[in-house]
Amino acid sequence: MEHSITKKIGFVLLGLVILSAIVFIYYRFNPSSTNTSFLACPIKMVTGYHCPGCGSQRAIHQLLHLNFYRAFRLNPFMLASLPIIIYALGLRLYNYLFNTQHRVGIFYSKWFIYGYFGLALLYWVLRNLPYYPFNLLAPTS
Amino acid sequence: MNTTNTSRPPENNLIWAILSTVLCCMPLGVVAIVKASKVETLWYQGRHDEAIKAAGDAKKWSIYSAVSIALIFIIIIIIGFIGALADGAFNY
Repeated sequence: MEHSITKKIGFVLLGLVILSAIVFIYYRFNPSSTNTSFLACPIKMVTGYHCPGCGSQRAIHQLLHLNFYRAFRLNPFMLASLPIIIYALGLRLYNYLFNTQHRVGIFYSKWFIYGYFGLALLYWVLRNLPYYPFNLLAPTS
Repeated sequence: MNTTNTSRPPENNLIWAILSTVLCCMPLGVVAIVKASKVETLWYQGRHDEAIKAAGDAKKWSIYSAVSIALIFIIIIIIGFIGALADGAFNY
């Protein structure tokens, strides 16, 4: 499915508008404070345990304020994944705009796929352990 | 067009599985990962139709994962609203 160039520009502009709205909201409001209407992770709400995504919203707020250390402490796994996520999404956008078919090589490696998600599961368990040093992995503001 | 497409396995859509796992971490994302990991193997076994289907499924399950979290939020908001009604929050 190939879109015409005007359609592509339209979609990209729409995407940019939505993205800037999201960036504005996460910059302006701090999900850590109690009187905001940010919704917490449902897994956390129901079970009381942290999931691998817990702390991501607060981490994005800190990132937008260039507090890298605080963002890292809120969700180290998300922060470590961010470069590859941005790279992969950027490549997707590039492919879309220029009709190319570039790919992220390691996404096709079994080692990477199972390694990454094995790590995610391990991280899920470890960040819920109330002992040092594992408790460092839990979200802290 | 077909000549470029037959020599190469389809895009496995792993990026969406990663996003749904790291940002909303729903169990459905795991299905997407398994599907994405199968794409290349199936392709090189000559099972091209199945490889294309697995790539499509990887995308589909990532979307289900994202939709499931949206649904859960909507349910939580509705429950919260009903709870507020029951507590008399809107009675003046």
